[in-house]
Amino acid sequence: MAGKIISKFFDIDGGNTIDVYERHGGYQSIRRVLKKMAPGQVTDEVLKSNLRGLGGAGFPAGRKWSFIPKDSPKPKFLVVNADESEPGTFKDRYIMDRYTHGLFEGIMIASYAIGANKAFIYIRGEYVRQAENLVEQIKCAYDRGYLGKRIFGTNFNLDLVVHRGAGAYICGEETALLESLEGKKGWPRMKPPFPAIEGAFKCPTIVNNVETIAYVPTILQEGGEWFSELGSERNGGLKLYGVSGHVKKPGVYELPMGTSLREIIYEHAGGLQDGRKLKAVVPGGSSAPVLTADEIDVKMDYDSLAKIGSMLGSAGVIVMDDTTDIVRALYVVTRFYHHESCGQCTPCREGTGWAERILKRILDGNGRSVDIDNLLNIAGNIMGNTICPLGDAAALPLKSYLTKFRADFEAAVSDRNGVGKVADEPVSLLN
Amino acid sequence: MVKVTIDGIEIEIPKGTTVIQAAEQAGIEIPRYCYHPGLSIVGVCRICLVEIERMPKLQVACYTPATEGMVVHTNTEQVLEARQAVMEFLLVNHPLDCPVCDQAGECWLQNFYMQHALHDSRMFENKVKKSKALQIGPNVMLDSERCILCSRCVRFCDEISKSNELGIFNRGDRAELQPYPGTELDNDYSGNTIDICPVGALTDRDFRFRTRVWYLSETESICPGCSTGCNINVHHNDQRTYKAGGSRVSRLKPRYNPDVNEWWMCDAGRYGFTHVDADSRILAPTRSIGEEQEMSWGEAASEIMTKLREVISVHGKESVGVILSPQMTNEDLFVARRFFRDGLGLKHIDFEVAPLTTGAKDDFLIKADKNPNTAGARLLGVGARQGSGMTVAEMLEAARKRKLRALYICHHDLANGFAVDVVEEALTAQDLVVFQGPNTNSTSALAHYVLPAAAFVEKTGSFTNYAERVQMIHTAVTPLGESKADWQIFRSLAKEAAISVPYFEAEDVFQALTAEVEAFSGLPYAGLAGQGIALRDGQALPESETVVA
Amino acid sequence: MSKVAFSQESLSEFERIVAQYPERRAAMLPTLYLAEKEFGHISPEVEVYVGELLQVPAIKVREVLTFYTLFASKPRGKLHFQVCRGISCDLRGCTKIIEHLQEKLNLNSEETSADLAYTLSEVECLGACETAPMMQLNDDYHGDLTTETVDLILDEKK
Repeated sequence: MAGKIISKFFDIDGGNTIDVYERHGGYQSIRRVLKKMAPGQVTDEVLKSNLRGLGGAGFPAGRKWSFIPKDSPKPKFLVVNADESEPGTFKDRYIMDRYTHGLFEGIMIASYAIGANKAFIYIRGEYVRQAENLVEQIKCAYDRGYLGKRIFGTNFNLDLVVHRGAGAYICGEETALLESLEGKKGWPRMKPPFPAIEGAFKCPTIVNNVETIAYVPTILQEGGEWFSELGSERNGGLKLYGVSGHVKKPGVYELPMGTSLREIIYEHAGGLQDGRKLKAVVPGGSSAPVLTADEIDVKMDYDSLAKIGSMLGSAGVIVMDDTTDIVRALYVVTRFYHHESCGQCTPCREGTGWAERILKRILDGNGRSVDIDNLLNIAGNIMGNTICPLGDAAALPLKSYLTKFRADFEAAVSDRNGVGKVADEPVSLLN
Repeated sequence: MVKVTIDGIEIEIPKGTTVIQAAEQAGIEIPRYCYHPGLSIVGVCRICLVEIERMPKLQVACYTPATEGMVVHTNTEQVLEARQAVMEFLLVNHPLDCPVCDQAGECWLQNFYMQHALHDSRMFENKVKKSKALQIGPNVMLDSERCILCSRCVRFCDEISKSNELGIFNRGDRAELQPYPGTELDNDYSGNTIDICPVGALTDRDFRFRTRVWYLSETESICPGCSTGCNINVHHNDQRTYKAGGSRVSRLKPRYNPDVNEWWMCDAGRYGFTHVDADSRILAPTRSIGEEQEMSWGEAASEIMTKLREVISVHGKESVGVILSPQMTNEDLFVARRFFRDGLGLKHIDFEVAPLTTGAKDDFLIKADKNPNTAGARLLGVGARQGSGMTVAEMLEAARKRKLRALYICHHDLANGFAVDVVEEALTAQDLVVFQGPNTNSTSALAHYVLPAAAFVEKTGSFTNYAERVQMIHTAVTPLGESKADWQIFRSLAKEAAISVPYFEAEDVFQALTAEVEAFSGLPYAGLAGQGIALRDGQALPESETVVA
Repeated sequence: MSKVAFSQESLSEFERIVAQYPERRAAMLPTLYLAEKEFGHISPEVEVYVGELLQVPAIKVREVLTFYTLFASKPRGKLHFQVCRGISCDLRGCTKIIEHLQEKLNLNSEETSADLAYTLSEVECLGACETAPMMQLNDDYHGDLTTETVDLILDEKK
């Protein structure tokens, strides 16, 4: 059924192995591509598919590929972003575990399209078992001649290397990832130059998310238009939605782009636990602005969520029921961005820690009425003023929780003001 | 060239110029912490955010290239808000210990807070604790809490001194500047990290707590530490020397000169000024025959000239040796030439003394020749290699054999170039030894007359560096005691000898010099200040192999 | 010269790793993993050694080492409990799991027992939110934790 592309392998025993993958039609797409298509045609097909960057940014994948300079004598690299660290996101882990060769086939096709003979999978360091599986299966692919020199008897060569990160959310940001790949701290780079012009090792580089690449074989097999029509307008194909939090059936659900959030929560994830009521949903990983229970009829695609002031992000849906302490939720999320701020540029480095400390103080019962507006203001001051999007990722939840659930914060501030109450103004040096 | 408009000012600038540089050319200063024109651009501090029309977000001026037709605003409400926000963020974890911080008064957190922020504190929380008062090298103290992580010093050590001593460890607001554990920030240029630190994180061990910077005056000068002639500012404190252990000169700071030292200077030069206020300064003309006795300039000039004339009349003009110094200015040397060579008709004049141990050098700023004016002395022809007289070595040999009867020695400690007994035998065999210089040394100890010369910070004049660039030093502090510029001393002696030295100011000397000495011909005095003038107009010179002490 | 050195086996593994990259320095993270495997933790001597191997100043190794959270610069316990405290796990009660482990192991978070048997860490989202609350014990993920399942795991591993 068209309903499943990647996830149909999730329930197949040994779905990660080369034999099972081939038995289910794997490695046919790359054979056809290498024999019948020019690299440019591959890119065109992906353009037609409306496949967007499924890591979170949503940038059309085919357009990204087309930025690789055709005349550059430098080697090109494909880097697969398997850093998957946005809280609430776990879809890529499933792909690497259970659609391993589908990912490889996508890597081969994408590398062919952009002229790369070397590809890296940058996988978060915590995914030890996933990395082991990748390494093992890469070896199998080499053994069959699917990787290495003269693949399928053509002139196409490709080496694939698994590179483990080491515990840094920021390395999911593509330029930080490249720095990390080069053996440095994950400090995001200034842009331009964009990676397609100057990426890994100063060479043209395409960084694509695992899921994005994993859809490529099917797109080339079935055609770009076919894939595009599976989704909504300008948001092609299917999408893996991860659902976690207070639902009965947390998990990964592969559904057409644009499936409604309500359907995802109530039909696929089984609705809320213990007959609880919905309080809030984060639709796309913890950096996506939170939605209230009234907003869940939204279509889960890039454009529809943007329209209501949130974002699809990584499509990691975090469901919060009416028992949720929203102040604590924001504290936990902000603590994360503070912990993960790389420290390179000022607003994020200083602002995330400051916001976390204020939220902690509120949680501890020492909130002040000015805190809410101060937090909103701090978030506004981080937004848009940093080198990379981590600043925005930290600011968006602050803004949205504080705005949409202001009453909760006001209650937290006044409820607890009696306990360990402190002055409403900083101590002045003049007094 | 591209045309851009910044705050309504249209300017034309070369392609590739960044917005911050373009703004500077338009006379608009955009605040900056991490940006330094001599280092790579990282865009991390975010204080230089500006609004560029048709760009959705604010952009950092330091990194963004100015492109044709670009319209930049540096003072819109949005920009001012962002700037104030960045200032506030920078102060979130900054200790605000200005009253005990040595940077106060030249701190860019203070300055930009006053210029661009002036916000009330909203910070109720505890600050992140980091290490304080760490001595991280022979010259540098670190206070990590004050550090704003602009990474200028790290980049300096990576890109300029190429010594990689500093790193930023950990991440987020726990990120901390440190040298590698167990190692020090110890390179020949470490002091520059203090200069470029915009806050009080890196302070100068030598300078800290000696004086508040607002008591200091600045005078443009040239480092006399080697033949590079790094452009410097002398920071001096004439009025409050009692607060700084009696020293009038508090520190030297490099002064930008793109053709010489850019923004930098070496530590040897930076900390090599202590002789200026040292106890070894010669304060008055002194007779050291039998009992040491201070004299007036009149007495000294008259006695010395009388003795010199005696030697000349008995043993002839070839019995006198004059050892000048490449520590002296072009003006000093020119007057010396006029007096000794042209006036007295002496033949044996030299200035070069090869040191026993060759000076350190590198391929950046440090030259083995530790004198600021060797090239000038050569161009003025006051060396034996330029004339036909004896070299210094030959003079000492001749002096030992009493073929020379009088030696007039300027500045040199001859023990740096010759064995102590060689110097001693030569000098003690003389009928007359005159020493002239700012400080006593083993040579002055053997002289019959010791004359106090002004130190480089006490006089105006010019040096010619190794590349034959003529650069000016200016009087920063008044000469100590009775000391005066070397050329003025020669003028006093010349007056006794009825030799005309009709100059009243260094400028007069310079005018005469340019009129008379071919190599300096046509050099405008007024043009020397600031960046100096290259005699050969930028033509590269082969570095001389000869090294002088 | 550094005071430590890789075994012959690790050295050939290192050479294999370096050959995968166009630049030597890119082998930084894998080399640190290799060093941690061989030496237990990354001491300053190991930093210097890795710097020599990769031909970068030791300070650049230290910058990397301290930037990432996974490398051990101090000895860690044989069993390293990393309990996820991300938002999805927090919503599903990770605090209880953390408190339970603190009590059972008699450790505060971010502490290692004196006998180097256990280290307890609270970590950020591990990317297994569908099994919240969860933890990583050494290399393996354990999800859908309750205080009971934590006890079972403890008994099994002890």
